[in-house]
Amino acid sequence: MIKINSKNVDVFYGKKQALFNINLDIEENQVTALIGPSGCGKSTFLRCLNRMNDVIDICRVKGQIIINDFDINDKSCDVVRLREKIGMVFQKPNPFPKTIYENISYGPTIHGMAQSKNEMDEIVENSLKKAALWEEVKDRLHEPGTGLSGGQQQRLCIARAISVKPEVILMDEPCSALDPIATAQIEELIDELKKDHTIIIVTHSMAQAARVSQNTGFFHLGELIEHGSTDKIFKNPENKRTQDYITGRFG
Amino acid sequence: MNLVIFIFIVLLGFTSYYFGRKKAYSIQATNTRLTALPQFYGYYLAIWCAIPAFIIYSLWAIFEPSIVKLIILSDYSNQGYLDDELNLIYEKTKSLSRGQFSGEITTYLETSAEKYLNLRSIAQNSKVVLILAIIIASIVYGYKRISSNNRTREPVEKFLNAVLFTASLAAILTTIGIVFSLIFQTIDFFKVIPLFDFIFGTHWYPAKAFVRDASEPLDPSMYSDTFGAVPIFAGTFFIALIAMCVAIPIGLMSGIYLAEYASTKVRQYAKPLIEILAGIPTVVYGFFAALTVGPFLKDIGTAMGLEVSAESALAAGGVMGIMIIPFISSLSDDVITSVPQSLRDGSYAMGATKSETIKKVIFPAALPGIVGSILLGVSRAVGETMIVVMASGLAANLTFNPLESTSTITAQIVVILIGDQAFGDPKTQAAFALGMTLFLVTLSLNIFALRVVKKYREKYE
Repeated sequence: MIKINSKNVDVFYGKKQALFNINLDIEENQVTALIGPSGCGKSTFLRCLNRMNDVIDICRVKGQIIINDFDINDKSCDVVRLREKIGMVFQKPNPFPKTIYENISYGPTIHGMAQSKNEMDEIVENSLKKAALWEEVKDRLHEPGTGLSGGQQQRLCIARAISVKPEVILMDEPCSALDPIATAQIEELIDELKKDHTIIIVTHSMAQAARVSQNTGFFHLGELIEHGSTDKIFKNPENKRTQDYITGRFG
Repeated sequence: MNLVIFIFIVLLGFTSYYFGRKKAYSIQATNTRLTALPQFYGYYLAIWCAIPAFIIYSLWAIFEPSIVKLIILSDYSNQGYLDDELNLIYEKTKSLSRGQFSGEITTYLETSAEKYLNLRSIAQNSKVVLILAIIIASIVYGYKRISSNNRTREPVEKFLNAVLFTASLAAILTTIGIVFSLIFQTIDFFKVIPLFDFIFGTHWYPAKAFVRDASEPLDPSMYSDTFGAVPIFAGTFFIALIAMCVAIPIGLMSGIYLAEYASTKVRQYAKPLIEILAGIPTVVYGFFAALTVGPFLKDIGTAMGLEVSAESALAAGGVMGIMIIPFISSLSDDVITSVPQSLRDGSYAMGATKSETIKKVIFPAALPGIVGSILLGVSRAVGETMIVVMASGLAANLTFNPLESTSTITAQIVVILIGDQAFGDPKTQAAFALGMTLFLVTLSLNIFALRVVKKYREKYE
């Protein structure tokens, strides 16, 4: 089933065009990997999906991105509701300078999701458990989140993202600042999370894309060159550029 | 003459830099590897040239006058003169030698003056010779030490370290010096006025202290009810409070606007415009408060049936607050801008609005800097003098009615120290006592605020 349907998406930074006519469908409850060399526009596309590009003054987005039969670029779209439904995990772990508990309760608080302290405790516990962090931090929930290790911080950010029960989770190179062990933990986690969430992950690691994703889109110079099932893209790409990139001949 | 020597040493320093570097280049030309870049050899030689010379020069400048004095006065020893009289003789000798003496010239004095001139020229000449000799010796020594296997980088770096250390020492020593200059006068003051009366007394009339004739002995009882500092401390904090009530909300909000909401273009123009406020001299604020705001408030008050003094705490405090706005807004703008964008992104991505993000994420992260800017504002408010003198008057009324006139510590120090004062008089010493108390109060405020910040700050990174 198609979760996100993007049609003719163009993105401009000032006068420079960063994305050209992107048409990409994202499957529900699957992991979609976006790969491509640096500066190819994959992160820009990812940020279109929860309108994070709004934060950048000079950025303009054209075209349609339809999620649940609704164009998120439409004027009537409520960005706050949109971002509640579409969570995001960033390249560098960015926990708030607050306690672990407050990091998780932040989203549910601003969206009014818990009526009582008990309910909030439950949300925090569940989110941390889903992010496979509960066992490590359950005794120090009221210590600062910035005191955790890099991998733990990133899982904290994932827990923060899933605390508001988003339908989609966007991940922008979530493992690029982590060591191989932390990376393996996150990848395992991604596999687990796809039961409840649709996941889109931008990655520079071809091996990671092959390991975690069911679908892959290859971007180059602002264009979506090829997309399809990960198996097909990696084993039998149609486009020569895709093949060159995957086999490591450029990029 | 001294200037010539000074310039000479500096010029020689530059020259030796050149020669040191040249020698290093010539060593390099023989394909020998140096232990440092050639300019380090230049600096090395320049330091060798200038530093010993300057040390001798300053030692000479310190000791020459007292040695000359000792030699001159040795002629007068064993004649039963008192120390003060000897000093007078020496001063007379000096002015006679300059040809500026107008009193009775005795033969003794004339011989002394001649001897003085003689000594001075001997000293001057030997100083020049000594310094030249030192310079030449140290340059030769330093020049000989320049070779491929001698280290120059470390001594040069050490020298720089010492220079920087001296610079920071100067600031610390000045602070200590100021504190000490306050302490002794303050102690003298409290010998006459009991500490209790000063801290808890509610009447401040230093003008009363003028009555005393300097020849009469000091009678502490005549100062009772004169130096009670409560009214002016109350006035100081009251006016500062009014000022901060104006400055903190406006400053903080404009800082947040500039950092988070304003477009680049607006910020580019608005920030310098706000900072212009900081460039206005306080005297100008003073007459703005005294001639515009004060009468305006009085008119409004009269129209509303209130009794408003033309010189009111409200006028002074309000204008002072406006003066402090740019400090708070500009500094808090800077600290808010320096909060990493990743924290904002994280918050926006959770669906937080701009104001939620500011309130819950950015503000706590920027808190130490914001408190710092507020502290700076408070110390400006407590230390501000001119606006108070001009707009709130000099009468130390104990009042918490913002529409009446009141006075502050700094304004009272001005009142006390303007015009004729006698040192050693309680009235003058009162200024020192006030200064000392003010210093202690602001110091403990700062320490307290720093502790609060340390406890509540949310550290990012």
